[in-house]
Amino acid sequence: MADSVTPARVDRALLREQVQQKYHDVASEPDKGFHFHTGRPLAAMLDYDPADVDWLPPTAVESFAGTGNPLSLGRLPSGATVLDLGCGAGFDTLLTARQVGQSGRVIAVDMTEAMVEKTRAGAGALGLQNVDVRLGYTEELPVESASVDVVISNGVINLCPDKRAVMEEIHRVLKPGGRIQIADIVVLQPVPQEAKDDIDLWSG
Amino acid sequence: MLRLSGFVDIRWGEQIDVFSGSEHESDAAEFDTRGITFSASRSG
Repeated sequence: MADSVTPARVDRALLREQVQQKYHDVASEPDKGFHFHTGRPLAAMLDYDPADVDWLPPTAVESFAGTGNPLSLGRLPSGATVLDLGCGAGFDTLLTARQVGQSGRVIAVDMTEAMVEKTRAGAGALGLQNVDVRLGYTEELPVESASVDVVISNGVINLCPDKRAVMEEIHRVLKPGGRIQIADIVVLQPVPQEAKDDIDLWSG
Repeated sequence: MLRLSGFVDIRWGEQIDVFSGSEHESDAAEFDTRGITFSASRSG
């Protein structure tokens, strides 16, 4: 992640609204077809263990829209408190809840109500008691400062126009020495300012 | 940006052409868009 990024000049409220609508559709009409891959084929592409995918409720798998596998970066310790930033339908949240066990906890945050509902339903279907799902924004996390051991996220930060604000918010909620395990999107070629400022290119 | 936000021990994981075969493939290819993974720690 570069140290210097020219911010996009987009209407942030409008961008949030468009991204929420897109991911509402991913939650409620997962077979609709999107400009990005979704569901079980995507999980296979990203090298998730098929046995893990089989363990998940179909509702979590069908609306999966990640860009990598943050859990591949290291096993999450038993008893840890983990924040899933932009949890979507709960794909990584639920796998994390199993890894950290009953003595651990997952706080799952998403700004799209339909996704929050799917994550809650998925945790309920698996009988997981250690999942706490909250509606909120990545730049204003509804999470106490210095309360989290690990932050995971999958394909979410690229949708936020102020990435520095997101990283500072992640820093705020992490305990000193806490870590991040993140999958996301980068562009390796320079993006013209007019493309950065085109809100339609953000949410597809 | 990670360093400026107070993170250390930054480690990069795999890169993947996550838009390959999707409707967004040509737009993604234009800017060489990749899926990446990384980890880092909050400085103590």
